[in-house]
Amino acid sequence: MNVKIKAPGSEYVARDFLVKYGFILVTIISFVLFFSSQETFRISTTFFSMLKYTSVVAITGLGITFSMAVGGLDLSVGAVAGMAVTLSAMTMVVYDKPAIVAVGLVLLAGALIGLLNAFLIVVLKIPDLLATLASMFAIMGLKLVPVNGRSVSSGMMLEDGSTAPGKFTDGFLKIDGGQLGPIPYAVILWMSLTIVCWLFLTRTTWGRAMYSVGSNPEAAMLAGIKVKLYRTLAYVASSVLASISGLILASRIGQGDISAGNSLLLDSVAVALVGTSVLAMGKPNAWGTALGAFLMGVVITGLTIAGFPYYGQDVVKGSVLLLALVFSFTLSRKKSRFISAV
Amino acid sequence: MKAGKVKLIAVTTAALVLATTAVSSSQAATKPAPFSAGTVKIALVQNSGAGDYFQQWTNGAKKQATAIGIDMQIYDAQADNAKQATDMETAIGSGVKAIIVDHGNADTMCPGINKAIDAGIPVVVYDVDIRACAPRAVFTSQSDELLAAAVLAQAVKDLGKTKTVGYVNVLGIAPLDRRHIVWEKTKKAQKWTQKFFVGKFTNSVATDNAQLVDAALKANPKISAIFAPYDELAKGAISAVYQNKLQSKIKIYGIDISNADIELMTKVGSPWTATAGTDPNAIGAGVVRVMALKIAGEQKTNEVSFPGVLITAKFLKANKIKNMDDLRAKLPALSMSKAASAAWIPAVKF
Repeated sequence: MNVKIKAPGSEYVARDFLVKYGFILVTIISFVLFFSSQETFRISTTFFSMLKYTSVVAITGLGITFSMAVGGLDLSVGAVAGMAVTLSAMTMVVYDKPAIVAVGLVLLAGALIGLLNAFLIVVLKIPDLLATLASMFAIMGLKLVPVNGRSVSSGMMLEDGSTAPGKFTDGFLKIDGGQLGPIPYAVILWMSLTIVCWLFLTRTTWGRAMYSVGSNPEAAMLAGIKVKLYRTLAYVASSVLASISGLILASRIGQGDISAGNSLLLDSVAVALVGTSVLAMGKPNAWGTALGAFLMGVVITGLTIAGFPYYGQDVVKGSVLLLALVFSFTLSRKKSRFISAV
Repeated sequence: MKAGKVKLIAVTTAALVLATTAVSSSQAATKPAPFSAGTVKIALVQNSGAGDYFQQWTNGAKKQATAIGIDMQIYDAQADNAKQATDMETAIGSGVKAIIVDHGNADTMCPGINKAIDAGIPVVVYDVDIRACAPRAVFTSQSDELLAAAVLAQAVKDLGKTKTVGYVNVLGIAPLDRRHIVWEKTKKAQKWTQKFFVGKFTNSVATDNAQLVDAALKANPKISAIFAPYDELAKGAISAVYQNKLQSKIKIYGIDISNADIELMTKVGSPWTATAGTDPNAIGAGVVRVMALKIAGEQKTNEVSFPGVLITAKFLKANKIKNMDDLRAKLPALSMSKAASAAWIPAVKF
């Protein structure tokens, strides 16, 4: 009598383990792989410059996390970050104002764009994707009007023939260039924002209300949740976070580069999507997004150091995203709840 | 001022060629340290490696690097300035002997360049004007003034005074800014009326600018020439001209040369009349030679400039030139193998 008795549901144990920890495993494996094979990868400055590079995508991804939490998707984040770069350059270089004014204006502009997006979506009832697609184009164009489509750099010639009086202040350049011990400020900013967003989304009634708006707006409405208010909040948070990453970008580039932020949208959507699969959350979440961004950073930096061509990197990026989606949708027994509006 | 600068460049180049010839005749061909001890690791931090020009540039750089015994790690930021700044930091941390920076913004790259030099890593920069913010780096460039002057002299010969013209350029990029100055001067001297000025820099310059020029041509179809001082911009202008069926009426003057450019120029009825260029392979190789000289302690000046030559569609057709190989054979001046070289540096063929 040698009958194997299978515990009921034992095939699920491995599967659930994979769904829950699979992504963390992938991250650890890729890190170890690059760490052991690439000498450059082992140097601590490489690690921190990788985190610094990742911080921009990660913070924008946090914004995406908010819009996905309420069941939408904010396509204007890359444009908002680009706007932040041009606006901070205008403020400091053309109008010769201190860095603090530039930061204030950028955050204010971010909040206003968030409100505008919310107005289009909540009041005018335009679907999220379409509304933010429109605002994306509008912002990309509008930011070029005051600068005549040119990148703003210190000492540039202005329309009236005079020379721009200001420059990127040293303090502003510290946002990306400065560091506390070995840790760049941008990374500290990323970690702090991740903690704040995580606390907000999981430990406050507002955060939980956002998730319920995202998973079932009708039910949320019936439960007395102010659906419109929370959707508005989410889009404002998304734009403000995007403008913060724009500030880091501006500080890194050191001029009002008009093409800045162009590649940000797709990368940040990818890291937020990857984040949904972390710990089988099945929903957008702050730490998941942070880990997703970290993994993308490891993969991109590792492949760059290994001399892998950039088009190959995109293939790998796509595969990582696909793997995460398989964890979330195919293997998971829990129904993933996000981007229901899409 | 302008003439003074061009003269200065010419003198520098001449001096450089003389100096290197002197070196090659007196010195034995044994490699100096650290090349004598084996492979030397350096990094190439590129703003963009895409497009005909950059691909050839990189090819030339790679070939010359291999010939000298340099292991060159290539970082390609894909025209993303922020990524290039990060690549620079990764390169500094990676323990290379030297770093070559190819294109980018001075404001973005200078902090990293200075950081590298502070860390004892010499930096050779190609086509980013860092002379003000990182004077300790070696600044190399092709002489954009001479290139623009050469092709515009041909345009003046072809067109004459008081013509209406279009212009495709993107300001804020060092070489294009330098070509812009020559254009402004020529335009004024010839009393040309500029009907439009469009252009933007993206990761697909030709396609995106075709659209801009197309719109500009719809509004101003009666111009006699377009100056597009970068071959990807010229390609955009050409497809817009074809699209509007204006190829028999409008002459295009570009800058840069590649296989694809030659094909476009020699096509029957092509509006692309003349270009001025250097062989991008030769420039890439030249920059690597400057780097090698710098590492060996033989590069004394902090400025090196590579000259260019005028190439007309007529010359290409008359000599039945189909590609860069043919052109190199018919126009030996392109190779510049004597510029910035030494006896221990092997010449390479592309």
